[in-house]
Amino acid sequence: MIKAFLSWSRPYALPLAALVVTWIVISILTPTFRGEASVYSVLEGFSLVGLVALGLAVTLIAGEFDLSVGSMAALAAVITVLTSSTGLIGCIAIATACGVVFGALQGIVIGRLGISSLVFTIGTLIMLRGLTYIFSGHEPIIIENFEITDPLLERYAIFSVSSIIALFVFITGWLFLTYTRWGREIYAIGGARNEAIAAGVPRVRTLTISFAMSSGCASLAGALAATRGGSAAPQNYDDLLLTGAAACLLGGISLYGGRGTVLNVAFGVAILSVVVAGLAARGTSASLVQLVTGALLLTVIGIEFLAGRLAPRKAGGRAQRGRSRRMAGAGG
Amino acid sequence: MSAELSVAPARHRPDWLLPALTLGPAVAGIIIAAIITPTFLNPDNILSILRNASLIGIVAVAMTPLTLSGNFVSLGISQSAMAAMVAFVALLGEGWNQLATILVVLFGLVAIGMLQGVVVAAGMNPVITTLAAGAIIFGVVSEATEGRIVSVRDYPATWGGGDVIGIPIVILVFVVFTALLTLMMSRTVTGRETILVGANRATAEISGISLARVTIVAFAIFSIGLAIAGILEGAAFGEATAKSFPNLTINAIAALLVGGTAIGGGQGSPLRSAAGALLISVISNMMVLNDFSPGGRLAIQGAVVAAAVVLLDLFRRRGVRR
Repeated sequence: MIKAFLSWSRPYALPLAALVVTWIVISILTPTFRGEASVYSVLEGFSLVGLVALGLAVTLIAGEFDLSVGSMAALAAVITVLTSSTGLIGCIAIATACGVVFGALQGIVIGRLGISSLVFTIGTLIMLRGLTYIFSGHEPIIIENFEITDPLLERYAIFSVSSIIALFVFITGWLFLTYTRWGREIYAIGGARNEAIAAGVPRVRTLTISFAMSSGCASLAGALAATRGGSAAPQNYDDLLLTGAAACLLGGISLYGGRGTVLNVAFGVAILSVVVAGLAARGTSASLVQLVTGALLLTVIGIEFLAGRLAPRKAGGRAQRGRSRRMAGAGG
Repeated sequence: MSAELSVAPARHRPDWLLPALTLGPAVAGIIIAAIITPTFLNPDNILSILRNASLIGIVAVAMTPLTLSGNFVSLGISQSAMAAMVAFVALLGEGWNQLATILVVLFGLVAIGMLQGVVVAAGMNPVITTLAAGAIIFGVVSEATEGRIVSVRDYPATWGGGDVIGIPIVILVFVVFTALLTLMMSRTVTGRETILVGANRATAEISGISLARVTIVAFAIFSIGLAIAGILEGAAFGEATAKSFPNLTINAIAALLVGGTAIGGGQGSPLRSAAGALLISVISNMMVLNDFSPGGRLAIQGAVVAAAVVLLDLFRRRGVRR
């Protein structure tokens, strides 16, 4: 029993240690980041960065990469504001549904053609941003009947409505990836694609689900943020991709596919939220936060790479290269 | 594995087909543009298209070896070019000698690029690495300039917008740079090795080609292009901010992909990226002249990139099957 727990918890030891250390350091350095307020602000991070990171993680586990999540979140935020006359639940549902449909289409194209998701999503990243500007009329827009957003501003101890929704999505995502056939197929396609396809795992369906989940999560994140703030601006969220990727990798999702769980994403998001909350409490500018996020991201991929090199029996440098090359669509 | 084996038969396809696929739409686009947009053939407009294409082209051409070597594209293009521009302008403003400034910017950018090259050569994902590096560069420059506009002050540096025997300098640089890189990729050992690494990494490695060296050299060439773009813009405007070059990343990647360089590496040439830059500039100029909104232009550009990726992939696959 204890042995089983130890082997289960091993992949989480490093992220957990990192979270504890950053939490202690930041709460010592920042007097405002303590107690209930600090837990609340970290949980709030789950409803924007967290959801985006969760979606991104699904594509990473499938051995792909969805670069369009930032633009998708911005577009969903604009759609939410435009459809706000349908009520709070209505507009969030419409925006999220748009994201799911777009992501599914994107997944079908990538899966059927076997093209590089890294490159194809650069195209959609640009296109979605353009659509965001068109729909919003090139300026920030606000929700006219702002009283519909009131339920989102309630606070229950350490939770808000949006963080509860985000946590619910995290738990659902975890159940889906761990216990369903479709979820396991995502791991199979990402871990060893040729073997998985040979064993009968359908590539197109798996990638369609992965990309639908990433776009859907990003849209939900954008929709929640728009309803919380009561507005949306077309230029928003272009740094979400960086933050989301950093959260995934900080938590221990592998860039090479097939490894990592939703719990890893949760750790990554928590670490990043603590760091960002600490920096923000000290009045740090947005560009410095971006600098720190970029530096963290580089450090983490460095550590992941070194760990892969040092563990002789596991996927070494060469296997990883083969896999990262597959992201170019060369192995279709 | 199967894709790697099937690369060879693709050679049976006539060599002129892929370039024709790029130049064809470019020529067709220019003709359509000329017909539906009366002001399009105006000499001033042609010149402005060429200037714009040159700046995008220098960067897209410089990035081509990187893509050819199988390292996809950089997502930190704007930030690096911006850093070059800000550094150039700021150092001149401090009263530096112009030649010394150019050399410092050039070497500085090449050093930053090679550092990223080392990281990527160690086996890390180039897209994520350049994304993170771009965020770091942007953060550092923003902090250093405190968000203010940096200028050359009273230093007389406007040659970037000038011309030699009637041809704007930026266009001359573009043509020379493209010619040099095209020759380098097709005629030198380094160039051939770069293409081989992209076409078939395993074979290249067995043949004794250093993957690390090819990657680092590709990043160095890319950085030279970024430095040139930054210096030319700096010398043209005399001032810069951390927000300069807002659309360069998108435009350069679009030019490279539309030009038909295979994103997985191994196929393509700097010349094609140059043609791609011309096509992208014609398209965006046409959209500006026809009063497209910035959002509309962005959406169409994104659609063009996505379509180019899909079409080129389909085309390549048909070539393989035959």
